[in-house]
Amino acid sequence: MTVIVPPAPAVQTTRSASAAGGHGPVGWMVLPALVVFVAFGAVPLLGVLGLSFTTWDGLGVIHPSGLTSWHAVLADPGLPHAMWVTFKIMALSWLFQTPMSILIGVFLAGHQRYREFLAILYFIPLLLSAAAIAITYKALLDPNFGLGAGLGIPLLQQDWLGNSTLALGVVVFVVSWQFIPFHSLIYQGAVRQIPRSMYEAAALDGAGRVRQFFSITLPQLKYTIITSSTLMVVGSLTFFDLIFVLTEGGPGDATRSLALEMYKTGFQANLMGPASAIAVILVVVGLLVALLLRRLGGRGDESQLEGA
Amino acid sequence: MATVVAPEGGRVDSAAAPPRSRRRRTDEREPRNWVGGAAGWLWLVIVVVPLYWIVITSFKTRANYFTTNPLAPPSSPTMENYRFVLDQDFARYFVNSVIVTFGAVVPAVAVSFMAAYAIVRAGEGRFLRATNSMFLLGLAIPLQAVIIPIYLIIIRLQLYDTLLAIILPSIAFAIPLSVLVLGNFIRDVPRELFESMRMDGATEWTMLWRLALPLTRPALVTVGIYQGLTVWNNFLLPLILIQSPEQRPLPLALWAFQGQYGINVPAIAASVVLTALPIVILYAVGRRQLLSGLTAGFGK
Amino acid sequence: MELGQLSLSRRNFLGLSAAAAGALALSGCGSSGPGQAKSGEATYWFLSGQPQQDIRQGAVDAFDKKNPDGTIKATTFQNDAYKTKIKTALGAGQGPTIIWGWGGGGLKSWVDAHQVEDLTSWFGSNADVKNRLFPSSFGPATIDGKIYAMPAETVQPIVLYYNKRVFDKVGAKPPQSWGDIMALVPKFNGAGVAPFSLAGQSRWTNMMWLEFAFDRVGGSEVFQAVFDGQPNAWSHPASIQGLTMVQDLVKANGFVKGFASIVADQNADQALLYTDKAAMMLHGSWTYASMKTDGGDFVTGGHLGWMNFPPVEGGKGDPSDTVGNPGQYLSINASASAEQKDIAKKFFSEGVLQDAEIKQWIDTGGVPIVNGADKELASSDDAEFLGFVYDTASKAKVFAQSWDQALSPTAAETLLDNIAKLFQLSITPQQFADSMNAVIGK
Repeated sequence: MTVIVPPAPAVQTTRSASAAGGHGPVGWMVLPALVVFVAFGAVPLLGVLGLSFTTWDGLGVIHPSGLTSWHAVLADPGLPHAMWVTFKIMALSWLFQTPMSILIGVFLAGHQRYREFLAILYFIPLLLSAAAIAITYKALLDPNFGLGAGLGIPLLQQDWLGNSTLALGVVVFVVSWQFIPFHSLIYQGAVRQIPRSMYEAAALDGAGRVRQFFSITLPQLKYTIITSSTLMVVGSLTFFDLIFVLTEGGPGDATRSLALEMYKTGFQANLMGPASAIAVILVVVGLLVALLLRRLGGRGDESQLEGA
Repeated sequence: MATVVAPEGGRVDSAAAPPRSRRRRTDEREPRNWVGGAAGWLWLVIVVVPLYWIVITSFKTRANYFTTNPLAPPSSPTMENYRFVLDQDFARYFVNSVIVTFGAVVPAVAVSFMAAYAIVRAGEGRFLRATNSMFLLGLAIPLQAVIIPIYLIIIRLQLYDTLLAIILPSIAFAIPLSVLVLGNFIRDVPRELFESMRMDGATEWTMLWRLALPLTRPALVTVGIYQGLTVWNNFLLPLILIQSPEQRPLPLALWAFQGQYGINVPAIAASVVLTALPIVILYAVGRRQLLSGLTAGFGK
Repeated sequence: MELGQLSLSRRNFLGLSAAAAGALALSGCGSSGPGQAKSGEATYWFLSGQPQQDIRQGAVDAFDKKNPDGTIKATTFQNDAYKTKIKTALGAGQGPTIIWGWGGGGLKSWVDAHQVEDLTSWFGSNADVKNRLFPSSFGPATIDGKIYAMPAETVQPIVLYYNKRVFDKVGAKPPQSWGDIMALVPKFNGAGVAPFSLAGQSRWTNMMWLEFAFDRVGGSEVFQAVFDGQPNAWSHPASIQGLTMVQDLVKANGFVKGFASIVADQNADQALLYTDKAAMMLHGSWTYASMKTDGGDFVTGGHLGWMNFPPVEGGKGDPSDTVGNPGQYLSINASASAEQKDIAKKFFSEGVLQDAEIKQWIDTGGVPIVNGADKELASSDDAEFLGFVYDTASKAKVFAQSWDQALSPTAAETLLDNIAKLFQLSITPQQFADSMNAVIGK
């Protein structure tokens, strides 16, 4: 008797080929992304390293020159200054943005009615390009033609962008203006995920609002704080657009962060070799900071819902 | 915004997230949160004042601007600033920005989705594991650091001063985060669904189209919008790689415009409003999607 | 998964990919810009900023009309952006055919990178073109004995402008010496007027102060030593004295509040002078033109005064010395096609500084570098100013080129940096000298 056996599904053969939970040939799908990323991401990264060992003025031929450019960069007092400026911007923006964002996030989480309206408005700074924001503030803060001059309030009429200390403060403020809304929303989302039962239990134990905030809210936000801080810190390391348009690193070099130092050395002083060396430093510092923050924050595997 | 190192737990853990209904009407039963409230409203004022100023200034005449109170609305609003800005070819710069954004975001999301799918489906293999690690490391590379070699590469490819020069690096830099986020969402698709499709004889490509794509659509849109915003507002790439005025995208055009007409504050205000308007409108229209996608992804 | 949902997403996807493909196709067409001009067309880049921009464009338009087969397409750039852009463009092989510049160190960096044509022989065979122009204007165009640029436009010494209205109001007289300047500062501050307007963010504007301070104190040899590459030239006592003097002026609030964030390109510094917010301003002679157009009746009503920078008591410098731009310079891109180079050369011999252009420059208060122009100056509305500029430029014992153009771009950038810090009072004159000594000859 002949039995008509349906042909075994083609899948069978490939299924046996792969050990863990069968899948078909899928590796090729990663190729387009890989190609583009390697061409414009990985290769330039290696390129920057390579260029730091050359001397090139951007116009002529690229001369390999060993450690010359590195010597020039490491001996230049401009480098530690740029690193100091970058550190100041990083630290100050974090110090200003984090408490504000947490406070606002907590507030937003609790007030359903205004939430929608506020959320819309809060997002607008995030939508604007750094160039647009910097240009707006430049005009706003002009000591002779800006808001301060128009209103006639001496306090507002400071030489905001012309005074070294003030200029740095302005940069931190404008950065915060753009990103506090974003971080507030992150915290708001996180706060809304804290189970009410924890607060209820604490209230039953007699804890007041402030105590609840410090003992429940903050610890529960730990991973969110790490995430948000990582974004803030790593982001502020590479700020370029905003500072470039607002102050171009000035006055003098008061706001010349690493990224700006790199641009000026390369594209204005014609020293592409040293500029590449600075770029390598930028990448290394960024990696270190990100790793450090990850280390500080623990692995993030434990559940935070114990006791809920 | 710059690139970011993998945030802790980017995945939406559906089991752990308590349903929204659990937090209800807190403000009715608890004492008011004064500090938070004060901070919230104060910051609202700080956010709004520059925006308000820019909008009303854009409607004032140049002469008026210097003589009247900067915070007062214009007594006789005029459209001359907008006309002036539009005369300066802003429509063209807008088109350039649109071309760059579409040309970068669609391919970026597409190839990232494919790559994420491959990594999720077959990530145990050495090749894919290495690729995944490379993408993750890519999150830490700032665009500013590698701009000089990119300039060199673009010149060699003879793409200097074309919009493609902005598009290609933008795609590359969008890939790491997109792959990460999309990967997380694909991971949430239950394995059984894949298994059953396989037993029906589907190929991986078919499964990508018919299974993964529809189920991760919200993530695709969110990632697309986020990358779109980043590419639209990019300033450094055009600054270095574009020279002809006709090829300028909006942020660069805005800067050049400010350089030339900076004293004419109302005109500058009008140019800022015009460049921001398309995005703001899009945002007002597509708001919900972006918000839910972002907060879900970063919640825990 | 309903079929409807599937087909919808497929439709969306197709739509999106069509849009993307369209976008990519459009983006791939390069610009028909400077680097890829149509054949039979040369490109030309120059600075924006009125009224000079219109005059340059006018010369191009007039040439194009007479030469429909070989036209020139012009693109304008803002001053600071131009200095960077021209470098990236040349480096990318996409520079314009005709390159506008200031000669000196910048030109030398292009020569060293073989980016510009050697015009010595061309000038040899077109002697009539050469002989029309001021001989002194060829200085900054000559590198290692060869001529690499065509001098054009106007001679631009730096002038000390003052607002007669404000002086009358306060009852002061124009300064005749450095001591007078320092004495005037508290007088004006007391009256609520800034003594000097200054666009500090542009930095080369601050540099003008140092140029004069050095010259008046120690003579032109002080900077010449730097230019010649003598070691430690910046530590010369006259140099230190000049640096200190300028810092004294800053400390005494001699400059307008917020000067460090004012940019020259927008003419904000000039605005301060003609709106009576500042009493004096040290700036290039080209600003006369924009003050005339934008300042209402400030210039036409005779409220603008001008003079050469006064001497410093006890200084060795000749009070007739001046600094500035002996001309502007047009170079030809070495990588342009032969056709484009021919168009450029034709423009040089037939299109630059023709009668119409000469008249336009004179009308804006500029002295074109054409021999015999002085006869035309007397009949212009601005005869007084023009006569002053012409005399200053031609009678100066030494007409030094602006430092940031004389030096190489690397040294210039360090110079401008240090100048900014000096004016911020964040470094001492000695530190300035040390930093600059380190880049002598670079």
